[in-house]
Amino acid sequence: MAATTDTEQQEHAGEDGPPESGAPRRRRGPGRIVAQAVSVFGELLITAGLVMGLFVVYSLWWTNVVADRAADKQADKVRDDWAQDRVGPDGPGVLDTKAGIGFLHVPAMGSGDILVEKGTSMKILNDGVAGYYTDPVKATLPTSDKKGNFSLAAHRDGHGAKFHNIDRIEKGDPIVFETKDTWYVYKTYAVLPETSKYNVDVLDAVPEESGKKKAGHYITLTTCTPVYTSRYRYVVWGELVRTEKVDGDRTPPAELR
Amino acid sequence: MYGWIWRHLPGNAWVKALLSLMLAMIVVYVLFQYVFPWAEPLLPFNDVTVDNQ
Repeated sequence: MAATTDTEQQEHAGEDGPPESGAPRRRRGPGRIVAQAVSVFGELLITAGLVMGLFVVYSLWWTNVVADRAADKQADKVRDDWAQDRVGPDGPGVLDTKAGIGFLHVPAMGSGDILVEKGTSMKILNDGVAGYYTDPVKATLPTSDKKGNFSLAAHRDGHGAKFHNIDRIEKGDPIVFETKDTWYVYKTYAVLPETSKYNVDVLDAVPEESGKKKAGHYITLTTCTPVYTSRYRYVVWGELVRTEKVDGDRTPPAELR
Repeated sequence: MYGWIWRHLPGNAWVKALLSLMLAMIVVYVLFQYVFPWAEPLLPFNDVTVDNQ
C-alpha cells in the first residue's frame, strides 16, 4: 500500500510541477525503488494496452487502406493490358499469372470487382485480391475449359476484406468471373457456413460435401469465419450456368445489371 | 518511465508537448510499418485458406 501512495506522489511531482529533481518529499532507500518499479510496471501495462488497441486499428483499418491501394493499382494494370490487347490470360502464348487473371463479381457481397491472382499465400492475399488455390488442391481455371473446381480464397477482415460479406451469398445468387474475353456466370448451389480449416476436401474437383457427384465446372469461395477470427472456414459453391462473350463495350451479363 | 522522458525533454512545457507528440507519432509509424506486419502472420486472426498444415 505504501508503495502505491509513493508512486502517486512521485508521478504528481513529475507531471504537474516544474521538474523537481531531488524533491524533498521523495523518499530515500528501498521504499523508493519499490515505488519506482511499481510505477514503471504500471506504465508498461498501459503501453501494452495502447499497443494492442493500435494493433486492432491496424488490422481492421490500415491494412484495408494499404490493400485497396495495391489492388486498385494491380487491377488498373490488368484492365490496361486487356485494353491494349497485350497477351492476357486468354490470349495466346504463356499464361501471364503474375498479374491478375480476371475479376470476380458477386452482387450479393456488394458491387465492385475483386481481382483474382494466382496463389493463396498471405503475400498475395494481403494485396486485397482473391487468390486461386495452387496448394493443397490445385484449382482448375475456367479459362482452361476443363471440368474441375475453380477454388478461391480471400480475406474476411482486413487487407481489403474482399470476402467480408460472404455470409450474404445465398443459394441461387450469381457469381460472375470476368476474363478478357469471357464472362463466366456461376450460380451458387451450396453453402457450408462452418467447417474445419483442415477440410481440404471442399476444394476437390468434385466437391462431394456440396452434394455433387459428377465432374462439372464448379467455383468455390473460401474464407475464415466467424468474422474477426480464423477458427473455422466458410465455403460457398457455385456451378457454371453459361458463358458469355465479352463485347466491345464490356457490357456485363444480365446478372450484374 | 514517461515521467522520466518528460523530465529529460528540453524546453518549456509547450516544446515538451510537441516533442512528445512527435515521439508518439514516430512510435506509431514504426509499429504500423514494421512491427505489426511482422507480428500479424504469427497471430491466429486472419488465416483464410483451408490447408492440411
